[in-house]
Amino acid sequence: MAQKVIKYIGRTTDFRGNTLWELVSELPNWGVGRMLIRNMFQRYPEPCYMRILKVQAVDEQPGEVRKVRVTVEKTWRGVKQPKPVEIYSTSYKADYELVPQDQEAKYLNNNQKLEQVVLPTKIDLPPLLREYVTEETGERNPQMKVHFKQTHNKLARLAQEGEKPSVSFGVGLGQPKPVSSKLYEGLL
Amino acid sequence: MLRAGCQVLTQTALPAGKTGGNSFALEFVRWRRKPRWLPVAKSKVFRVPERKKQTEEERTELMRLHNQYKTQLRSVRQYLREEVVRHEETSTADHIVLTPEQEEAEFQKCLDLNAAWNARIAKEREARLAKEREEKVAYVQERLEAKQLREEERREQANQRVLREIELSKTYITRENLDAAIEAALANPVDHNFAIDLDGNLYRGRNTSQLTEASPNPNPEPNQQALSN
Repeated sequence: MAQKVIKYIGRTTDFRGNTLWELVSELPNWGVGRMLIRNMFQRYPEPCYMRILKVQAVDEQPGEVRKVRVTVEKTWRGVKQPKPVEIYSTSYKADYELVPQDQEAKYLNNNQKLEQVVLPTKIDLPPLLREYVTEETGERNPQMKVHFKQTHNKLARLAQEGEKPSVSFGVGLGQPKPVSSKLYEGLL
Repeated sequence: MLRAGCQVLTQTALPAGKTGGNSFALEFVRWRRKPRWLPVAKSKVFRVPERKKQTEEERTELMRLHNQYKTQLRSVRQYLREEVVRHEETSTADHIVLTPEQEEAEFQKCLDLNAAWNARIAKEREARLAKEREEKVAYVQERLEAKQLREEERREQANQRVLREIELSKTYITRENLDAAIEAALANPVDHNFAIDLDGNLYRGRNTSQLTEASPNPNPEPNQQALSN
């Protein structure tokens, strides 16, 4: 007898896995201490995983996928967040997967680090504004400070004194990355 | 509605088919679209939209441009915000810098002015309060006089009533003259059995002979019976 073939119809999704409640509700002690991954974040070569610290059940709402309040210790793109993160509003997404305990080493031993982006501290003004400012102040090449707000999950930082920034924010197209330089063939 | 609108559109080539034959004047020329509140069309219910694939290079490049644009825009906004703050701090239009002596003098000036206002208002208030007090006194006086008058009238009326009662008390039936009154009443029975015409003439009954001297009472017994009834 031939194997029964399941044929899916309808819209496809990028999610793969279960909702958080489906995983957590089955485990002894609510799975505290176990490792979780979001399959969506496995696109990055750097390790992205979470470890469950605390679970709080939330009542099921009619007509909604059941949510759960889970506090996790999060490592995202190889950077461990300093504070525990609470997952609640995204816990309904069927994208979570539990890592078997013998496979946790795969994530823990992944030591790839993201190359840090160093932003310049000063950049050029846009052309029209630059004209206005030049006319008003007489300054030849007025510059403005780069807006940057430091948070714990940002992978970029402002350049230190005398440091060379790794990206340039000139007015214009800028320098495309080597991956996408093919798009500009014959143009640049 | 939409379908009808489309019909109108197809009929536009006809000379009289613009809006004439239809019961409505709505005509979508430019945006021929389903209104938002209508559900998905029957023919589109099971349509699965194709998901566009982005190549790696395109995605990377768009991300880079996007990041660059957003950072630049945020920086411009920050620059303009700081510019406004700087302008507010340095411009003298609404931000006059004073020495401590000047500030003290200004304060003293304000204080004097305030005191003068207070004095003026106090004067006005005094005058108003005095006037109000006078009015109040006059009003109370008036009310007191009116009350006295009222009291006197009342006393006078009571007096008159007492006098009238004393006058009437002369004809009262008391324990002393009770027997005499009964005697008099028995001796003079009153018969109300009479008639009066429009001219005021009195027509007495045939049996009330004791009141009318002219006609003697032949049979007083039935009359007494009638009265007792």
